[in-house]
Amino acid sequence: MNIMSIYILIPFLPLLASLILFLGGRRWGENSHRIGIPAIGFSFVLSVAAFIEVLRNGPFTLSLYRLFQSGSLTIDLTLFVDQLTVLLLLLVTGVSAVVHVYSSRYMIGDSRYNRFFAVIALFTSSMIFLVMSGNLLMLLISWEVMGICSYLLISHAAERPSACREATKAFIVNSIADVGFSFGIILTFFTFGTLDIQTILAQAEGMQNHTINILGWAGLDLQIYPVALIPFFLFMGAMGKSAQMPFHVWLPGAMEAPTPVSALIHAATMVNAGPFLLVRVSPLISLSPYAMTFIFIIGASTAVFAGIVSLTQSDIKKILAYSTISQIGFMVMACGLGAFAVAIFHLLAHGCYKAFFFLSTGNSLQSVERDLKQGDHEPHVTEGMGVLYGGALLLALLPPFVLFSGSYEYLWGVTGFASASIGFKVIGLITVFVASQYLFKGVTSLFVHGPKTYWPASGQQGLESQSVRPQFLNGPILAVLFLTTVLAGGLLTLFWNWFANFLAPSLIFPKVTLAEGTVEQGFSFWLVVSLGMAVAGWVYAYSRQIRSQRQASRANERSNRLYVLFWNKGYFDEIYGAYVVTPTIQLAHWLWRIIDIKVIDCFIQSIAKYTLIFAGWLWRIMDIRIIDRFIQSIANYTVYFVGRLWRIVDVRWLDRKVEKVAEQVDGVQILREMESRTIQHQLIVMIFWLVAMTVLLYFSV
Amino acid sequence: MALLMDHLISWMIAVPFLGIVILAFVRDEEWIRRIAFAITMVVFFLSLILWKNFDLDQKSMQFVERVEWMTTFNIQYAVGVDGISILLVILTAFLCPLCVLCSWTGIKTRLRAYLSLILLVEGAMIVVFTALDLFLFFMLWEVTMIPMYFMIILWGGPNRIAAGLKFVLYSLTGSLLLLVGILGVYLNGGHTYDLLVLSEQTYSSNTQFWLFLAFFMAFAIKMPMVPFHTWLPDAHSEAPTAGSVILAGVLLKMGGYGFLRFCLPMFPEASANFAPSILWLSVIAIIYGGYMALAQADLKKLVAYSSVSHMGFVTLGIFVFNSEGIQGAVLQMFNHGITTAALFIAVGLLYDRTHSRAISDYGGLHKPMPRFVALFFLFSVASFGLPGTCNFIGEFLVLVGTSYVSFVMVLISMGGIVLAASYMLWMLQRVALGEPRTEFAKVLPDLSNRELATLIPLAILVLCIGLYPGPLMEMMDASVIHLIQQTTGLQVGEVSQLQLGP
Repeated sequence: MNIMSIYILIPFLPLLASLILFLGGRRWGENSHRIGIPAIGFSFVLSVAAFIEVLRNGPFTLSLYRLFQSGSLTIDLTLFVDQLTVLLLLLVTGVSAVVHVYSSRYMIGDSRYNRFFAVIALFTSSMIFLVMSGNLLMLLISWEVMGICSYLLISHAAERPSACREATKAFIVNSIADVGFSFGIILTFFTFGTLDIQTILAQAEGMQNHTINILGWAGLDLQIYPVALIPFFLFMGAMGKSAQMPFHVWLPGAMEAPTPVSALIHAATMVNAGPFLLVRVSPLISLSPYAMTFIFIIGASTAVFAGIVSLTQSDIKKILAYSTISQIGFMVMACGLGAFAVAIFHLLAHGCYKAFFFLSTGNSLQSVERDLKQGDHEPHVTEGMGVLYGGALLLALLPPFVLFSGSYEYLWGVTGFASASIGFKVIGLITVFVASQYLFKGVTSLFVHGPKTYWPASGQQGLESQSVRPQFLNGPILAVLFLTTVLAGGLLTLFWNWFANFLAPSLIFPKVTLAEGTVEQGFSFWLVVSLGMAVAGWVYAYSRQIRSQRQASRANERSNRLYVLFWNKGYFDEIYGAYVVTPTIQLAHWLWRIIDIKVIDCFIQSIAKYTLIFAGWLWRIMDIRIIDRFIQSIANYTVYFVGRLWRIVDVRWLDRKVEKVAEQVDGVQILREMESRTIQHQLIVMIFWLVAMTVLLYFSV
Repeated sequence: MALLMDHLISWMIAVPFLGIVILAFVRDEEWIRRIAFAITMVVFFLSLILWKNFDLDQKSMQFVERVEWMTTFNIQYAVGVDGISILLVILTAFLCPLCVLCSWTGIKTRLRAYLSLILLVEGAMIVVFTALDLFLFFMLWEVTMIPMYFMIILWGGPNRIAAGLKFVLYSLTGSLLLLVGILGVYLNGGHTYDLLVLSEQTYSSNTQFWLFLAFFMAFAIKMPMVPFHTWLPDAHSEAPTAGSVILAGVLLKMGGYGFLRFCLPMFPEASANFAPSILWLSVIAIIYGGYMALAQADLKKLVAYSSVSHMGFVTLGIFVFNSEGIQGAVLQMFNHGITTAALFIAVGLLYDRTHSRAISDYGGLHKPMPRFVALFFLFSVASFGLPGTCNFIGEFLVLVGTSYVSFVMVLISMGGIVLAASYMLWMLQRVALGEPRTEFAKVLPDLSNRELATLIPLAILVLCIGLYPGPLMEMMDASVIHLIQQTTGLQVGEVSQLQLGP
C-alpha cells in the first residue's frame, strides 16, 4: 500500500458521495449536502496535496485495475497525474466545492434536493476522472458520464417542457460530436495498438509516416496518414463538449439548469473538457499542421461569432452562455496556434471568474425573482448584490481577466508562433471590445429591466410556502471567491514564466527560461492596448444603453439584417431543426411506413395471400374439376363398359335366379322392388374394382 | 454430490421439466407461483455452480455428457458447454426467475399453464445452447417455438392471433431451412449428427455454399437480420411481458449462437465469402433499426426495433472474424439480453398499471414513480451504450474489431449509436419527464418491493459489467480464439491482422 494511493480518493470520494445519495434516495432529504460537501472538500485538500507532490517529485501514475483484455486490445485503467492534471484538479475540485456550499443554501426547498447533490457529485467525479485518466477509453467513459450528468442537471426542473427538450438536445448534440471522438479513439488504437495516452504521445512522432489503407474492403487503395487524421476526430469530440461552432447550440439551452449548475458547467466541468483534451494530446495534435489550422479557424470564428451574438441578447443568462462559448473559442484558438500554456492559463482564469460571476448572478436573479413573486412589479435588487456586480465588472477589466487576452500577447512570444500572432491580435482585440460591451449590457439589463425572460432560478415551487426560506448568506462565500479570483489571477500573471515552465513537461515545448525570451514582467504595449479596447467597449455600451433608453423604438436597429441575424443566434437552432431533426424523424416515419410496412410486410403478407389463393384455385381446379371428375368419369365409363359386356353375356339366368330368391325370401322385398338393372350395375362395378385392386396389389408387391 | 456434479447440465435441463410435472399437482395459485419461482432459482444456482467449476483455460467442451439415443441414425443425447455457450446458459437461467417474478400479478388467467410454458421454454433453451448433437439441437430448437406461440396467442395483446401466426410462420420457414441444412451436413459429413465430429470435417466449396446459405437463413430469421425482421416487432409488442423478455433476452440469441457454433466452424470458406455482404447487411440493420425505433409511438415496438439495431452489432462482430469482434458480439448478446429484458420488464410494469403501451399516454412519470424512472433511465441509457454501462463494452469491442475490416462501416455504425441515443432520450423525455398528459399518469403507484426485486438485479448487472467486464471476457477468451482458429486457420498472433480482400 503506497502512500501515493491516497490520491485515488480524489475522484472516488465524490463518486462515493453520489452513490450514497443515489441509493439513499429521499431519505437524505435536506441533509444531502452534509455528504456532498465533506467529500468534495476533502477531495480538494487532496488535490492541493497532489499539487505539492507534483511540484516536488514530478508526475506519477496510479493504476486501478484491468478493465478487459481482448485480442490485442488491453485496457488498464490508470490515473495519470502530471502538471496539467493537478492544475485542473485544483480548479475542478475548488469550484465544485464552492458550488456545493453555495447550492446547499441556494437549492433549499427544492423537491429534488438530494438528487441534485447526487448528480453534481457524480458530475464533479467524472470530470476529475476525465482530467486524471491515463487511458483514452477511460477518458471516453468519463466524458460520456459527464454528458449524461449534464442531461440530468439540465432536466432538473423536469416539469418544464423546455428544460427536458434542452436536456435531450444537449446530449444528442454531444453524442453526434462524440461519434468523431470515438472514431478517433478507434483510429488511434488501430494505429498505435494501445490506448494508453502517454505511450501514444511518446510514439506519435515516430508514426508520422505510417500509412493505412482505409478502402481495403472495397479493393481500392487509399492510403491515409492516421497521425495527421486522428487530431481532427479527437477535436470533433472537443467541439461538442466545449460548444464550438457547429455544436454550440446546446450550451445556451443548458441555462435551463439551476444557476449553480451553470457555474459548474461553465467554470469547472463540461466545457473545459475540450481545451483540456487538446492540451493533453498536444504532442499528437501539433504533428498535424492541417488539424492545427482547422482548430484555429473553428476557435477563432466561434470566439467572434459568439461574442457578437451575446451582444444582441437581452437576457443575462443567454449573454453569459454566449460569452462562455466565445471564451472557450478563444482557448481553442490558442491551442490551434500552439499556445497550449496560454490556453490552460486562460482556462484557469476564466474558470475562477465565471464561477464567481454565475454565482453572484444566481443570487441577484433569485432576489429579483422573489421580489417579482411577492407582487412587486418594480424589481429592485437588494442585499448588496449591486456591489458584487460592480465588482464583477471591475474584475472584467483587471489585467488577468481582461477576458480576451490581448493581455496574453506578451506571454505569447514565449511559445514562438510569432507569425500567426497578427490574426491572434486582431481577433483578440475584437473579442475584448465585444466582451466588455456585453458584460456591461448584461449587468445593466438585469438591474434596469429585471430578467427579460423568466428563468426560474432553481425550479423551486412556492417560495412563500416553504418552511425554510433560501437565505442569501452566500455573500461571504462570494466574497471569498472574489478574493481568490483576484489573488489567483494576479499571482498567475505575475508568475507567468513560472507557470509556463511548470506546465512545460506536459506539453511538447521545451522549458522557457527567462534569459531566452525578451519578455519583461508587468505591463506591455499590448496589454495597454487591450485595456484601452475594453474601456472603449465599455463606454460604447454605456452610450448605447443611454441612447436606447431615450429612444422608445429600436425598430431602426432591428431592421438591420445583420442585427437580426445575430439576434437570432445565427439561426443555428432553426437550421438544425429544419434540416437535421425534422428530416431525420420524417425519414424514420417514411422508412417505417414505406419500407417496413408497405414493402417487407406487404411482401410477406402477399406471400400468405397468394398461397391462400393458390390453395383455393388448386382445390377448385385440381381437386374438384380434374381429379374428382376423372374418378367419376372412370366410374361412368366403367359402368358403361361393363354394361356393354353384360349385354353380350346372357344374364337372364341370373335375373331369374334373383327373382326366385326374391320370391322365396320375404325379407328381400326391397330387392324385388329395385330395378334389376341397377343391381346389376352395382355388382358389376364392385366386381370390376375388386379384380382391379387384386391385380394392382399383385403387381405392386 | 457426484451425481449432481457429473450430470450438471442434465440436471439443469431436467429441473424445469420436472417442475412442470410438480406444477400439475398444485392447486393454490400463490403456491404455483412460489414453486415456479423456486424451480427457476434452482436452475439459476445450478448455473452458478457451472460457472464456478468452469475451467477458463480449456478451449474445448466441458461438462460433456453422452448417451446413445437412436443408434441406427447415430443420434446421441450429447450436451456440453464452452466459453461461449456457458454465458448464454447463465443468461437464460438468470432471466427466467425474473420472468416468473414479473408475471406475478399481471397474469390473471390460466396461471399454471403460463408458468409451465416458461419452464418448458427454459429447459428447451438450455438444451439448445448446450446440445452437441445436431438432431437434439434441432428438436429443441423447434420446441422453443411452441411455448412462445401459445404465450402470444393466449395471453397477448389485442392483435395477438395475427402476431402469433406471423411468428410461427417465420420461425417455421427458418426451421425448415435449418432441417435441410442439418440433413445436408449429415449426408456430407459422414452420417453423424455429432457436432464436434462435423466441425472437424472439411466440405467442398459448393457444398459449403449451399449449406451455409441454409443455416444462415435459419439463423438470420431468428436473429433477426434486416429483411427478415418484421415478425419481431409484432411478436414482441403483442406478447405478455415474460414472453417479450424471453423472446428478446434469450430466443434471439439462438441466432447469434447458431452463427458461432455452426456457420463459422463448419463452413469457414463460405463464411469468408459471404462475410462482406453480411457485414453490410448488419450495418444496414443497425441504421435501419434505429430509424424504425425513432418512428414508433408504441413503447414495446420501440424497444423491439432497438433490438434489431443491437443485433446488427452482433452479426457485425461475428463476421469480422477477429477476437475483438467476436468477443464483443458475444458480450453484446449477453448485455442486450440484460438491458432489453430490463426495458421490457419496465414497460410491462407500466402496462400492468395502465394497460396502454402508447408513449403519448404517459408523461411526467418522474413525479408519481421516482424509483421507476431512476431505473428506467438507467436501462435506457445502457441500451444506447452509454460508456460505463454494459452495452458500451460490447459495442466498442465490435467497432474495434470492425475497424480491421473497414472504417466506413465503423463510422456508419456509430451513426446508429447516435440514433439510439436520440430515440431513447426522446422516449424518456415523453414518458418520464414533463407534465403528465393523462389523468391516470398522475396517480400511478411507484414500484412495489417485488417489482424492485425484479429490476434491481438487472441494474446491478448493467453497472457491474459496464465497469468490470473482465470476468465475462476471460470466460470466453479461450473458446473464441479456438473458434477463430477453426474459421480462419490463423494462429492467435495473426488473427487480428485479418483483412477482408475484395
